[in-house]
Amino acid sequence: MPQFTRDRALLSAGSALALMLLAPQGAAVADEVCPGEKPSTIVANASGGAMAEAMRNAFTNDFEELYGIDVIDTSPADVARLKAMVEANNVEWAVAELPGQDVLLAEREGLLEPIDRDIVDMSGFPAEARESDYWFAKSAYATVLGYSTEAFPTEHPKSWAEFWDVETYPGPRSLRDDPVDNLEYALLADGVAPEDLYPLDVDRAFEKMDEIAPHITVWWASGQQPAQLLLDGEVVLASGWNGRFYGLIQEGAPLDIEWNEGMIKLSAYGVPKGAPHACWGQHYLQVMTDPKRQAVYAEEIGYPGLHLESPQYVSEELAPYLPTAPGNIERLVWTDLEWWTEHGPEVRERWNLWKLSHQ
Amino acid sequence: MTASAGLAASFRYTFGRGNPNRRQVLLGLPTVLFLLFLFAIPVARFMLLPIADGTIEPYVKALTGELFLLVIWNTFKIAAYVTLFSFLLGYPVAYFLTVAPPVWRLIGFFCVLIPFWTSILVRTYAWLVILGRRGIINETLLSAGIIETPLAMLHSTPAVLLGMVHVLMPFFIFPVYSVMQRIDTNLISAARGLGAPDWRVFLSVYLPLTLPGVLSGATLVFILSMGFFITPALLGGGRVTMISVLIEQYVNTFLDWQFAGALSAVLLAVTLIAYGLMKWAMKGDKKW
Repeated sequence: MPQFTRDRALLSAGSALALMLLAPQGAAVADEVCPGEKPSTIVANASGGAMAEAMRNAFTNDFEELYGIDVIDTSPADVARLKAMVEANNVEWAVAELPGQDVLLAEREGLLEPIDRDIVDMSGFPAEARESDYWFAKSAYATVLGYSTEAFPTEHPKSWAEFWDVETYPGPRSLRDDPVDNLEYALLADGVAPEDLYPLDVDRAFEKMDEIAPHITVWWASGQQPAQLLLDGEVVLASGWNGRFYGLIQEGAPLDIEWNEGMIKLSAYGVPKGAPHACWGQHYLQVMTDPKRQAVYAEEIGYPGLHLESPQYVSEELAPYLPTAPGNIERLVWTDLEWWTEHGPEVRERWNLWKLSHQ
Repeated sequence: MTASAGLAASFRYTFGRGNPNRRQVLLGLPTVLFLLFLFAIPVARFMLLPIADGTIEPYVKALTGELFLLVIWNTFKIAAYVTLFSFLLGYPVAYFLTVAPPVWRLIGFFCVLIPFWTSILVRTYAWLVILGRRGIINETLLSAGIIETPLAMLHSTPAVLLGMVHVLMPFFIFPVYSVMQRIDTNLISAARGLGAPDWRVFLSVYLPLTLPGVLSGATLVFILSMGFFITPALLGGGRVTMISVLIEQYVNTFLDWQFAGALSAVLLAVTLIAYGLMKWAMKGDKKW
């Protein structure tokens, strides 16, 4: 990763320079950033693990340098805890990650401060990432079609209709053990246009799933499985998260990604309602809007920020593997989180029953 | 040897004696406190999540929903098969350990204990390597020209059964062995002396005498099977749904902890009922 190291060095130099330029005006400027007394620390709650490391290298260190406030990283991301904090009027977090399907729940239950558009500048983001007034689109990930380049050295399936075509593209396949994405794939395979997907025709989707079920040898449950199954030759096609595939592609594994008709989703951050340092939380989000810092984050973990210029700043090897890269994002389909929040529980129960009937 | 004897003794203790005296209670106190605060209370809290949120609906759903009844039935069937195979394969092994000359007995114990001491995860991954599409068996058969396309052995109920029996068989062998060891061989000689053929000696004398060991081994294997997770999750490939796999799915993927708690409570109840039935079946047998 020499490219990446260089970028990091440049970036650190850049922020150091910015700090030096700010320095002459001294504390006065910093004090005007947010009303009230400046805290010495704020708490940022997120998933932890490898992600915390990437967050720190890309954004958190810069925030600390810019504003002279230490950030305490806590984990895991947990909307249930956020709810308890807000209800008890005892919010610790200035800013928090909102995991996957809980985003809309957090918004609906009124657990979030609105994003302050005067501070957080999202003008460089695509429209889909700017829709909510309450959460900030930190990153995007896509569930895409991964294929073994050993099984398909020349021609590989380029759509879900072709994934369903077991005559032309024979071999065992793997899909996620969850109806989210799979029902969309089934409908796309059945000829539904991406813009007509929602509301999902659940009956039609399950009927189409019946066709592919005998060829799904593994219903994967954890993120690293699909790439590993392809690598082991256990399956020849698998849906999976783009970052997980990229991790192994980078190491020279015989697999690749077909981006067409992949399902793209946002992962979000928000400022908890009644957060003690909400204003600083908004500034933390602003640090995260920077396309260059987002590029650092993408290099670290394979998931891009949403600033449309961000892909320009990543290394040549990584750029084509980001869902937001030009040429990829146009071919991806946005998951309607609202539909899934509404219908998730009942569809998931039906999913499990359906799977039992195919055991 | 000593380990197995100790284990056997603890089985006898667990299933055998009642009413320990006061000093024994004191000796057990640290363990009891440890289990209470770090196991029983957290687990109870998890299982009572719906009640804490003021609803019993998840329990009702767990007990009446078509899906959950099917999965519980499926789990029950798999546990029963695992128990049956553990008996069929483990009983002769226990007998061999009882009658074999010392050197062979040592080797036999070695073969049972080494896997027993190896991590479940390692043993399950080993099956992935053996049974996989590019695993040892398929590669051998392919290169010998016996098959043309790889056999699908992994990610199926038989694969799960194989993995589970492999992991759980020692739990059957040890209690049976400990009972077999204490059988008075004079009874066998007496039966022979009275003119019984071998099969009759086995069915009328030996098997009934070992029954307590068989039942306690079967209970252990059955109960452990009901809650088994790693092996069905890895070897089943999402196609073999046991209740623990379902619970994990509700915790990690669906984030519905209330319902996961209710399902756990149901699993515990079913397991306790199974245990109660086995206990009842063993009643009246004073030997242990």
